[in-house]
Amino acid sequence: MRKMKLASAFLMSTAIAPAAHADGHLQIVDEPLELTIHMHWPRAQGYNEEYPVELAAREMTGIHLIDATSGKNTTDHNEAINLLLATGDLPDIVGGHRIKDAVNQYGPEGAFVPLNDLIEEHAPHIKAFFDENPDIAQAISSWDGNMYYIPYLPDGKFGRAYFIRQDWLDALGLEQPQNVDEFYDVLVAFRDNDPNGNGLKDEIPLFQRQWEELIRYVTLWDGRSSGSDTYHDFMVVDGQLQHPYATEGYRDGMAHLAKWYAEGLIDPEIFTRGSSSRDYLLSENLGGVTHDWFASTSGYNASLEGTVEGFNFVPFLPPASVSGVRMEEHRRIPFKPDGWAISHTNENVIETIKYFDFFFTEEGRLLSNFGVEGDTWNMIDGQPVYTDEVLNGGIAVNTQMYEVGAQIQRGYWQDYRYEWQWTAEAAREGIELYDANDLLIDQFLGVAFNEDEQRVYDRNWTQIQTYMLERQQAWILGTGDIEADWDDYVAQLDRMGYNDVIEVMQAAYDRQYGN
Amino acid sequence: MEHRTTRLNRIADHLRANWQIYVLLAPTIIWFIVFLYRPMYGLQIAFKDYSVFRGIDGSPWIGFEHFHTLFGSDQFIRALKNTVIISMLTLLFGFPMPIILALMFNEVLNQTYKKTVQTVVYLPHFISTVIISGIVITAFSPSSGVVNTVLDWFGFDKIYFLTKPEWFRPIFIGSGIWQEAGFSSIVFLAAIAGVNPSLYESAVVDGASRWQMMWKITIPSIMPTIIIMLIIRIGNLLEVGFEMIILLYQPATYQTADVVNTYIYRQGLQVGQYDLAAAAGLFNAVVAFVLVMTANTISKRYSRTSLW
Repeated sequence: MRKMKLASAFLMSTAIAPAAHADGHLQIVDEPLELTIHMHWPRAQGYNEEYPVELAAREMTGIHLIDATSGKNTTDHNEAINLLLATGDLPDIVGGHRIKDAVNQYGPEGAFVPLNDLIEEHAPHIKAFFDENPDIAQAISSWDGNMYYIPYLPDGKFGRAYFIRQDWLDALGLEQPQNVDEFYDVLVAFRDNDPNGNGLKDEIPLFQRQWEELIRYVTLWDGRSSGSDTYHDFMVVDGQLQHPYATEGYRDGMAHLAKWYAEGLIDPEIFTRGSSSRDYLLSENLGGVTHDWFASTSGYNASLEGTVEGFNFVPFLPPASVSGVRMEEHRRIPFKPDGWAISHTNENVIETIKYFDFFFTEEGRLLSNFGVEGDTWNMIDGQPVYTDEVLNGGIAVNTQMYEVGAQIQRGYWQDYRYEWQWTAEAAREGIELYDANDLLIDQFLGVAFNEDEQRVYDRNWTQIQTYMLERQQAWILGTGDIEADWDDYVAQLDRMGYNDVIEVMQAAYDRQYGN
Repeated sequence: MEHRTTRLNRIADHLRANWQIYVLLAPTIIWFIVFLYRPMYGLQIAFKDYSVFRGIDGSPWIGFEHFHTLFGSDQFIRALKNTVIISMLTLLFGFPMPIILALMFNEVLNQTYKKTVQTVVYLPHFISTVIISGIVITAFSPSSGVVNTVLDWFGFDKIYFLTKPEWFRPIFIGSGIWQEAGFSSIVFLAAIAGVNPSLYESAVVDGASRWQMMWKITIPSIMPTIIIMLIIRIGNLLEVGFEMIILLYQPATYQTADVVNTYIYRQGLQVGQYDLAAAAGLFNAVVAFVLVMTANTISKRYSRTSLW
């Protein structure tokens, strides 16, 4: 009898756990436990219960996630989560894209479970991460000091880089520009000296897919365009909050950009050409310089090979500013407003935090980054390496990962080895070039407002930003002169409550980061 | 007492006799209740500090604070002004167009030609706003747009239309007319088809010209339709088609392009201030109600045509 019991217990455990995890050390529950999840994110409005990653996580931990995503017919993530909150019927886990503001606003009202104590007691791997990165723990906390979600933590430092047509430089006998003056000369040469050799003066020396990205070039005159990877964001200088668009470096930079625009160095249609401008201007052999993502931009070297004769679009170091500083203002933010949270209706809070912790274990991290071992990748010399089918599958590797349920916006810690494996050679060289130089600046990681601060911010900020952007475009387009308008502009910002906003930002910042 | 029972009986008899008609009416009434009357309960958030999680009932009252915020804002006032200007111009230029089109179709004798032109002018109505905006952006592009190419032929300077505040309204209203004038003319064509042919026959006998027949017979006959359509349009005066504006405007053109609905979208919905958005929407509805009442009363008094 006893023997039989043992045997059947053994059979059961092998049925639940695959061979690799037969010891069951990652098991959270003895009996399978089902938890419902809301997961609204850009690639899919919902959580697929048949993701191979989900099946593997289910076998390892015993926890099953059941899709209960609200707002599947909208692509607007805010709307989806607001809809969910308005119905009042929250699933056990609320996850997905851009949940930070919602959980930090409604967490203190009681909609979500504070995680600090749970992490302390039940999630050793998450705790280890936050012990090493206390600034991230501060940055994701709400105004009451509690954490309400486990974020998606991107890996890798660089996002965007300056790109130039090396073959155009070669054709004109020029070198890569090392400072802002040389940069100007190169753009003028691109405009005037017919680098594409078609006899027409049709080159567009500088272009951007997003017009906001143009403002980034004010860093060449020691201005700033944003304090984070979000456009128009605040920044911190010596512990003091400021908005870049209210600083004098911005004024000087904008004055020069307006001049460049008037001289035809910048795409005249920069405000309306839209997201396809990079495709169009590169494939038509018209665009010279841009500031854009490493991986996707260097990809044009392969895709336009043969279409555009001699096409060679390479990353180059940010030109030194007027004061000699090389600055790459854009970098990947160390955490995203995406991830997952535990809602107040969840009856298995401890199991849930343990499940969250699973994705910070070595096995869980590999699973959430690369998919199921043996299917999409193998461990070779201690490194996870994608199979040939994945790397040469004809579909982008990230898309393949989304399909198996890896790299989706649960709370997980990204592993840069994932992206490096399919980054084009040109981009890898660029990243190494940028890495070898000290280009990055500290980012503003955001603040969490209490209700009163939120009200001041909401009432004033959208209007102020609207005004800032109106003036910004007008100055570039030449319907105003920034040098002449500046004092009025600053006075108008004051009238609209700029200082009130800065005051509440500063108060929230000091509380959150303990200054 | 007895009087009341007989009246109830009469209603019951009436219902029994005409129940099919009431069944046909039911879906519309249910639709109105579910989608228009029930949501009115939520209008109260315009006077509350609304939290999605606390819900409509759980959020505290704050009186008219949102309205103070709105009317204290230069940008809201500007949006209101733009809304009125764009609506008025649309009414002025957009409202007569379908009538003129209908009258013109009515005069065309060649049926093939008529059908072809009608199809061509109806077509834009069925194209989605996103595509229409794409066509407009392309047509007005400074480098490759057809408008600037033509300007260039005649020796004019190229204009970056969509960043010029002074060009926004003509472009928006013009493309709106292009999109909707044809389809809107159907109502007037139907009204023209309903004019008694004997009126025209006797006019021909009296030796009237086609021009005289149009002015003396066709237009007076369809006047009730025109007035009803006008009243409806006035009620929707503040409902500027904001999807199109969002797709076409830029911070550079906010000055003339920002209307109440785009303001609500930016200030209220994009940042999740539903209470403020509800306050602005409620204000819109009240103004529309007043406008429609006024138009209806004036029309009733002077032309004896009215919605109710």
